[in-house]
Amino acid sequence: MSEMKKKQRFETKGRMLGYFLKGSLKWFVLSVLFTIAVTLMDMINPKIISFTVDSVIGDKPAELPAPVLNLIERIGGTGYLREHLGILAGTVVVLALIRAVFRYLWRVFNARGAETFVETTRNSAFEHLLALPAAWHSEHHTGDIIQRCTSDIETIKVFLSEQLASLFRIIPTLILAFTFMYRIHPGLMAYALIFVPLIVGYSLFFHKKIGSAFRKADEEEGKLSAIAQENLTGVRVVRAFGKEQYERTRFEEKNKTYTALWIHLMRLLASFWCSMDLLSGAQILTITSLGAVYAVHGELTAGNYIAFLTYNTMMIWPVRMLGRIIANLSKAGVAIDRLREIMNAEPEKDVENALKPDLTGDIVFDHVSYSFGDETAHVLNDISFTVKAGSTVGILGATGSGKSTLMYLLDRIYPLPEKDGTITIGGVDIQKMNASYLRDHIGIVLQEPYLFSRSLEDNIRIANRSAGRTEVRDAAGIAVLDEAIEHFEDGYDTFVGERGVTLSGGQKQRTAIAQMLIRKPPIMIFDDSLSAVDAETDAKIRAALAEKTGNSTVFLIAHRITTLMNADEIIVLDRGRLAEQGTHEELLAHNGIYRRIYDLQMAGREVEE
Amino acid sequence: MSETKTEEIKTLPGLGLPELLPYLKPYRKTLIIMVFLGLVASLVDSIMPLFNRYALNHFIGENTLDTLGIFIVLYIVSTVIKVLSDFISLTLAGRTEMSVNRDLRNASFNHLQTLSFSYFNQNSVGYIHARVMSDTGKIGELVAWRMMDIVWNLSYIIAVVIVMFRLNVRLALMFVIIIPIAAVLITYFGRKYMTYNRRIREINSRITGNFNEGITGIRSIKTMAIEDVIETDFRAETENMKRTSVRAMHYGAILSAAVTGIGSFCLALVLWQGGYLTKEMVMEIGTLSVFISYAVGIMDPIEMLTETISGIIAIQVNIERFTKLMKTESDVADRPEVIEKYGDTFAPKKENWEELKGDVEFRDVSFRYPDGKELVLEHFNLNVPHGTNVAIVGETGAGKSTLVNLVCRFYEPTTGTVLIDGRDARERSQLWLHSNIGYVLQTPHLFSGSIRDNLKYGNPDATDEQIMEALKLVNATGVVEKMDKGLDSDVGEGGDQLSVGEKQLLSFARALLADPRILILDEATSSVDTVTEKAIQKAIETVIQGRTSFVIAHRLSTIIDADMILVVKDGKIIEQGRHKDLMKQKGYYYSLYTRQFDEDAVNTANAE
Repeated sequence: MSEMKKKQRFETKGRMLGYFLKGSLKWFVLSVLFTIAVTLMDMINPKIISFTVDSVIGDKPAELPAPVLNLIERIGGTGYLREHLGILAGTVVVLALIRAVFRYLWRVFNARGAETFVETTRNSAFEHLLALPAAWHSEHHTGDIIQRCTSDIETIKVFLSEQLASLFRIIPTLILAFTFMYRIHPGLMAYALIFVPLIVGYSLFFHKKIGSAFRKADEEEGKLSAIAQENLTGVRVVRAFGKEQYERTRFEEKNKTYTALWIHLMRLLASFWCSMDLLSGAQILTITSLGAVYAVHGELTAGNYIAFLTYNTMMIWPVRMLGRIIANLSKAGVAIDRLREIMNAEPEKDVENALKPDLTGDIVFDHVSYSFGDETAHVLNDISFTVKAGSTVGILGATGSGKSTLMYLLDRIYPLPEKDGTITIGGVDIQKMNASYLRDHIGIVLQEPYLFSRSLEDNIRIANRSAGRTEVRDAAGIAVLDEAIEHFEDGYDTFVGERGVTLSGGQKQRTAIAQMLIRKPPIMIFDDSLSAVDAETDAKIRAALAEKTGNSTVFLIAHRITTLMNADEIIVLDRGRLAEQGTHEELLAHNGIYRRIYDLQMAGREVEE
Repeated sequence: MSETKTEEIKTLPGLGLPELLPYLKPYRKTLIIMVFLGLVASLVDSIMPLFNRYALNHFIGENTLDTLGIFIVLYIVSTVIKVLSDFISLTLAGRTEMSVNRDLRNASFNHLQTLSFSYFNQNSVGYIHARVMSDTGKIGELVAWRMMDIVWNLSYIIAVVIVMFRLNVRLALMFVIIIPIAAVLITYFGRKYMTYNRRIREINSRITGNFNEGITGIRSIKTMAIEDVIETDFRAETENMKRTSVRAMHYGAILSAAVTGIGSFCLALVLWQGGYLTKEMVMEIGTLSVFISYAVGIMDPIEMLTETISGIIAIQVNIERFTKLMKTESDVADRPEVIEKYGDTFAPKKENWEELKGDVEFRDVSFRYPDGKELVLEHFNLNVPHGTNVAIVGETGAGKSTLVNLVCRFYEPTTGTVLIDGRDARERSQLWLHSNIGYVLQTPHLFSGSIRDNLKYGNPDATDEQIMEALKLVNATGVVEKMDKGLDSDVGEGGDQLSVGEKQLLSFARALLADPRILILDEATSSVDTVTEKAIQKAIETVIQGRTSFVIAHRLSTIIDADMILVVKDGKIIEQGRHKDLMKQKGYYYSLYTRQFDEDAVNTANAE
């Protein structure tokens, strides 16, 4: 998001593929060229065989292109070759070597193309995901997005690099094989050709049909897998209710259905393979016997007969593949569309010539309202207040009163619609600023901070990579995290695991505080961020913070009045409205919600007799 | 979890097959038929070129069509035999694969039902799930398809070699020399290829992890404005992926180039040597053509064979994991004499079960988790007469579940005894105890199925009236009414059609229906709206009436009336008593309580 890109939409599948193919297209083109070269080379061997059998071993005149005939004449004619068969064998070996090199190049170029494509696509998808607004992320399931960015991309890659690429191999093979077969014997070629639409058509029909059976089997597998999953996550419930036998029956029944479905599917597949074998067997038999008849009638030489049969075998597999590739086209189309939906989602945008002003000024909320989705339910309602630069403001409010929303608006995680008021820093509307710049200068510590799967040290300096070891230690010290870190075997190198699971809630909060301190942002927000820390540590951290936050403007969201009472100003939110505002003393004197909370909390500390 | 690094190639004794024999026994006959038919098919396959030879030598060489009819009939017969045996063996292989998979899945699933909690705590759900669902699949594949691959390809190669020797010894000898060379080359590059492929899979799972982090952590990434950092790391990973994949393909390409190269080399040999022989009339043209077909066709089976062998090696790790799971023994097991009297997990002898009253006593109990270093309980004594309400409080992760785990006999004390109704818990079967325990989890766990199925989980005989009665008691009738099919409504996978609060209410009803003597409540931390919270509050009061209950509490306001409060910190019980006494101590409980009270105060004051 560093440089907000010009919005681009992919109107069609082709547009998007074209975009992702930048950088990989040249490799694919090279790979196709070598595929065709390999196919051409494949076609030479049967020629050599028929030439050897007919003209070298036999005595028929050679049917070869003039330059080749000239060459043969120059080295001494077929008679010379007859005495020196090694020359022919040598030719085969040399051709084979060239072919092997071509084949190698084809595969490597293809892999380069495929992998470059995947790299470009994944990078673009990831970059786009990061640029999408938080609202988009809350509307979509993580699992679904991940699937689109991993297995759907994989499907597209396989389609491009294997299936589409093999078309470039299959089609020339078919054209060349049939041309050569036509040259040898047009009639026999016609018989060979009759079977092609049959085989392709049957294969296409079958693959279309089996698709739904596979989907069903997949669904059943999902269900079976879910039963196992539920049993494992609910192991306490299963055991505590003594339901092992019940679970066993449940699993075995589903397992049975699933297995039966697959056995059925396997039988379908087996019958398909075998009928294809029969069909191609019939084709080969037709060619072999008819060829023999033609040969006996003198229409075909022995060498040509062998060559014809070889060409025929060469094209059988490609023909069988063709139906499957066509059937897979639709699968790839679906995958491309699923990815396109993500790529076409609207990313966050800055206004043109976004500003990067000084952010140390006063912060003004001016008639700010906000609602999620539908207009009726306001999370925030007409809030106005000013925070003096460098001061500390405390925010108090019940769960759901809109405290966090207010902070997310300041950070532009939620965009504030124009008609719903303005937020300015030092007189500049935040909507006119560069979002990255703004966020870089606002630090937020959430109640449940998100840690990344890296070392503790890397987590602390993730937003300020230039920070050195000493700075990391200082920040950890202020957040009273250093003691805890010393208890870890690997100290600052402790790997926090996915989403920081190896740390306790309090440790995570303190890591997040250290993470923010190391950035020294001019605006700091603590969103109930010491809730999992005990009172003693809480006090210690606050004392250290008071010293260190220095010139920064601080927002302090908390439930405990003792945490808030020293703030320069305190704001009380009540169901989205600004209910009270003032210093601790003023609010106590005011005798409103704040006073009531204060009394309750003080009373909670008394022990009744 | 400890096993993520066992990815290196190693083979088990006998390729791991002896361990699997018991699971193959039911399919012995099928396996024999498969092998036999596989042999038939590849035999026919290997002699098919002889038809060409005959056509060339007889029809073309002698210029006659006299036997064409018989030729066609024989050709058809051979093809049909091959196709039929293929069909049968393919079908059987498919069935065997799936059946073995099914049996292995059942076996591992059932075995898991008997394992103790230490296993589940030491291994993540994902890890165990993969043992049941994916290892078993790989093994079935090994047994059916890898075996058939070996049968098909090996017998084809052998048959071809025999036919060649019958036709012409000199040419055949040349082939025989080339085959092992080819095999060695293929194995070498194939192995390289496999190593890189494994690396690719590892990188791939890291990339998926990156996607996950980028999506679930989006708010943090945005608020810290660290998109560039995250993106740079991601790009490094995809770049690495590309490099490794291209490298892998380099070996794959050499492999396939080598295979076809060797094939052409064979062809050259045949043309050269066979040509001389044919020219000098030692060998007929038809025979030459057979050799040509073999030269072109033998490389595929060799490649397949080496691939199969690497496949078998790759599966070793799956076999090892599976057999390891099956050999894992529960560290909470009933003694033989207990099983004798009370029955086991799958065959209980309910007629011998005594009624359970609900007295629980810890007598000099010390306890250390099997994977833990220090004792979390030391000489702990606690008497809980039936009907007592015990609350356990402390921070998340402080170890509040330990006592509950011992009461439920999910774990057994390291030393000392847990007594149920005055007798050592080990004197009766686990199932007896569990059948008398109700458990309501902090993250309420429902199973996919209907609401009725879920409510009857602990009491299969419950009538609809009883169910409705229970729902009424916990104020959950509304949950059922709002669903369009009432009790028959599907709750979705893990109950995801319902809100957390609704699931919680249903799990209270489920516990009530089971009518347990001992009730465990692991209370919710999740935020539910105040109305639901009140409903849950009342439901708790209802269900603990007249039962021994252990409540793991997060909302301390709910346990003020508990008969006994145990305060846990860092795994140990540090304070114990009634609410008033603990508040007077002004210790750890006091600070926990005031902290929560402050938050409650804000919420209540605002609500007024």
